[in-house]
Amino acid sequence: MNDHRDETGFSELERRARAAFDASVDSVDAQARSRLNQARQRAVAAVTGAPARQARRGWTTWAPAGALAASVLVAALLMRGPTGDEPRAPVASHPAALGHEPLEMLAAGEEFEIATSDEELEFYEWVEVAAVADTSTNGQG
Amino acid sequence: MTRFVSLDPAVRSRDDVEGATTKETRLDAAHARELDRFLAGVERRALRIAQLALRNVDDAHDAVQHAMLRLAEHYAARPSEEWRPLFFRILYNGIRDIQRRQGVRRRFFGWLPGTTAHAEEDAPDPLEQVPDAGPEPSRLLETDEAMAELQRALQRLPARQLEAFSLRCLEGLDVAATAAAMGCSEGSVKTHYFRALQTLRAELAEVWT
Repeated sequence: MNDHRDETGFSELERRARAAFDASVDSVDAQARSRLNQARQRAVAAVTGAPARQARRGWTTWAPAGALAASVLVAALLMRGPTGDEPRAPVASHPAALGHEPLEMLAAGEEFEIATSDEELEFYEWVEVAAVADTSTNGQG
Repeated sequence: MTRFVSLDPAVRSRDDVEGATTKETRLDAAHARELDRFLAGVERRALRIAQLALRNVDDAHDAVQHAMLRLAEHYAARPSEEWRPLFFRILYNGIRDIQRRQGVRRRFFGWLPGTTAHAEEDAPDPLEQVPDAGPEPSRLLETDEAMAELQRALQRLPARQLEAFSLRCLEGLDVAATAAAMGCSEGSVKTHYFRALQTLRAELAEVWT
């Protein structure tokens, strides 16, 4: 695209310089032409809203948000850690494993009665006798 | 020689040219095709001019890509006859930025073996690496040698003289458009250009006779 140029008044040196430069322009290799073509397409796409720009910006736009969401999720999982609600294997020495939660009962302020009356003692004796009887019945069956 | 419309004073400052006070535009299809044709016509020349100034292929590509994008985003809506001086002004602003970075790299990392500064000096000059496409080999060799000689001479020019010579002689801008692209007066362009020619005549007197 040399049509905009005029060599009127140019000296021999200027003409030779321009000719040498034009030859070097014509000899731009294919790889460089490809890079220039891609750059030009991106530039034009920037003002037409063509896919070249959208594709270029697509994942880069959402990548920071995705990374942030992932880091928040990881942080939440780490903070949740051992105090979570997920089921754990019972440990014999742990009171919760035995079904007793005295600290929780005290903290909750619940009232619990200690078996002191005769009626309640009788009830527990009956429960024990019934359990023995039930065991012996099953053993005979 | 085609006369280019002088840029109005509002776009003469670097900040304006770099888009600080302009807004991005959206083009219709016809206007976009015109912009594409303009860029396609100027891109290889711009690459060679950037290579002359930067002496590094990748840096030259960066400068051209930056100029294309800037022109499209901020000046595509302006009359197309203003594109060429605007494009080269943006290109040279980018070239100066890259030259500053090159200077910093050389200052801080130049003593390290294998750094970019050394690599640039050791790398073969791209303008001397003319590939096998184009005219017949004897003609190619002749033009290749002529360009190598010219490049050696151009490397002796101060930056502003090189700009004036590249834009005025190699790219073919008239004095007004060269002044607009360089961000200086027409008188300064003539002075830089004249001095550049003097230096080049002295440098090339023997080899181009």
